[in-house]
Amino acid sequence: MIYAKMWTVVKPSVGIPVFIAAVAIASFSVHLALTLNTTWVKGFLNGGAGKVVAAAPAAEPAVKK
Amino acid sequence: MSSDKVGPSGLTEAESEEIHRNLIQGTQIFGMIAAFAHLLAYIYSPWLK
Repeated sequence: MIYAKMWTVVKPSVGIPVFIAAVAIASFSVHLALTLNTTWVKGFLNGGAGKVVAAAPAAEPAVKK
Repeated sequence: MSSDKVGPSGLTEAESEEIHRNLIQGTQIFGMIAAFAHLLAYIYSPWLK
């Protein structure tokens, strides 16, 4: 563990909250960006599994006669 | 002994290494839970299709 001695310099009471906050902010940002820019996260959160991906309109007439 | 050396944060090298071990373990457990949650979400509703 080559970084194990960093806590002799950085106070854990500062470094650990900063580390956890960085993980939380990064994770939140990625999920927020996905929620805002895609349809499938909204579909997932609304319980719309399988209904998220819109069927290609061309596929439907092929089934009909 | 070098592990009794106190750094600017007031911790010895032994204490620092102990904190780091626990932080690494916590990160690994968090990562495994997150990977499992993503796997379940992917099984429920595959993305990028």
